[in-house]
Amino acid sequence: MNPGDLALVGFTLRMAALATAAILVPGIAAGLLLARYRGPGRGALDTLLSLPLVLPPTAVGLALLLLLARNGPLGAWLFAHGLSVVFTWKGVVLATGVMSFPLLVRSARTAFEEVDPRLVALARTLGCRPAGAFFRVALPLARRGIVAGLVLAFSRSLGEFGATILVAGNIPGRTQTLSLAIFQEVQAGRDRHALVLAGWTVALAFLALWSTEWLSHRRDPEVW
Amino acid sequence: MTGRPVGALALELDLELPLARFTLRLGASLPADVTAVMGPSGSGKTSLLEAIAGLRRRARGRVVLEGEPLLDTARGLSRPPERRRVGYVPQDAGLFPHLTVIDNVRFGARGDAASVDAAVETLELRPLLGRMPRSLSGGERQRVALARALATRPRLLLLDEPLAALDVELRDRVLPWLLRVRRAWSLPCLYVTHNVGEALAAAAHLLLLGEGRLEAAGDPRSLLAVPALAREAQAGIENLLPALVVAHDGAAGVTRVRTDGGLEVTVALDEERAPGAAVTLAVRAEDVLVASVEPVGLSARNVYAATVGSSERTGSDVTLRCALRDGGGELLARITPAAVAALGVEVGRPVWLAVKSHSIRLL
Repeated sequence: MNPGDLALVGFTLRMAALATAAILVPGIAAGLLLARYRGPGRGALDTLLSLPLVLPPTAVGLALLLLLARNGPLGAWLFAHGLSVVFTWKGVVLATGVMSFPLLVRSARTAFEEVDPRLVALARTLGCRPAGAFFRVALPLARRGIVAGLVLAFSRSLGEFGATILVAGNIPGRTQTLSLAIFQEVQAGRDRHALVLAGWTVALAFLALWSTEWLSHRRDPEVW
Repeated sequence: MTGRPVGALALELDLELPLARFTLRLGASLPADVTAVMGPSGSGKTSLLEAIAGLRRRARGRVVLEGEPLLDTARGLSRPPERRRVGYVPQDAGLFPHLTVIDNVRFGARGDAASVDAAVETLELRPLLGRMPRSLSGGERQRVALARALATRPRLLLLDEPLAALDVELRDRVLPWLLRVRRAWSLPCLYVTHNVGEALAAAAHLLLLGEGRLEAAGDPRSLLAVPALAREAQAGIENLLPALVVAHDGAAGVTRVRTDGGLEVTVALDEERAPGAAVTLAVRAEDVLVASVEPVGLSARNVYAATVGSSERTGSDVTLRCALRDGGGELLARITPAAVAALGVEVGRPVWLAVKSHSIRLL
């Protein structure tokens, strides 16, 4: 097979893994917040965190681009500190991370909502501070849903297109992922190669989704 | 844990606890022994335990454990649950499903291997240590939950109907553990139960909750006269007679007791109760046989002459309230309407009541 394709697959996997790692902590925190917080503004927060699910990815990408461009409100500050996000691999990670964030949040939230709050309360009577009760009881009991959410977010990251192309461009060897490359090849009339690349995305997505299936149906009732 | 004077007050409560239907107001001083908490469903028994454990943020008032305030809202003090050292065992045991039995027991022990060992020994959990909670029976779960609470070396134990989820047979297997914990760990303990027999067997003190308030508090035996408790008692065991152990007869396999009403009763041998000990005899109404003539050649050891005081239809049966001759008090007997007709039982008629020794439980 084409070594260029292999590099493309490797880059795409790396970007998706980094994006998933980047949203791990904030995604779990947001899921916990939505599961536990019952005060005012809860609905608004819920909606806001789910927006990337329904907005056109290009709209999200545009917002990120304006925010992070060298003359944008956040971009200027980052640039002053020697960090450039737009049109770099960091832009790929950011765009795909933002787009897949709601998938993790939703899974984590459902998982935390299914944890019996009485078990968490019991952990407190057994000497745990709130943080201890979270790490020793709530998190382990919610791990299954969280892992499923992570796999889903990772799968989504593999194929992100609209937000990525606006924030990071489509620069072969620098910011080009599989989905961006398919677009480029079709534009250039190299349909056969585009089809090969599409085959790769199918294989990766299948593996990722199948692993969630495998995780949720694993016959290990004692542990999961 | 040593040197605590027997009967010293361990727990002072002065609580106001908003619940769904009413606010529970309760003031009580409890001894360093087992206190049974009784009352109808929804009277706030579980909420009371949760408030003492620090799990009810809306609780107001004072909770003082051995002189140390856990809650004193007037002074703005409310210790978080993790700093109260109160062991709480909920009704469904509440084991952590992702941890083995031993990891559950170790959960709150903070590496105190000695207390973990002691808890495991007391509740005989050795054969279960590697198991996961979902593979345990109801009784085993309760034992693990009790051990988990004990391993934290609590200063107070809160048990929410530890036997309610168990069927009668299992109940008899778990109750001894509770009594063993009471003896070996000498902890003040609040014990929620619906079962008067359990309360009498395990508790030195009793709190009876009504709608939002304390209906009665004191020695469980003396409280049997309180109508609300008597009602509860009748739901399970109809005949509860205060009595004293007279003597054991090993050869005959019986223990002789005398009720406070002067009735001589023989029960199955129970040498754990010393002669002179105060006990309560529990007899279900359906275990009392009724005869219209004095029975002869009967295996039942306890036969008493009585007069039918009242007859009442209860469900598909008839409950007879029978006054024992010679002022021995009364016994309730439950028989079928067919038996009533066959015997010609009617109010005012003399009858003989017979109870097998094995149908009488000592509480």
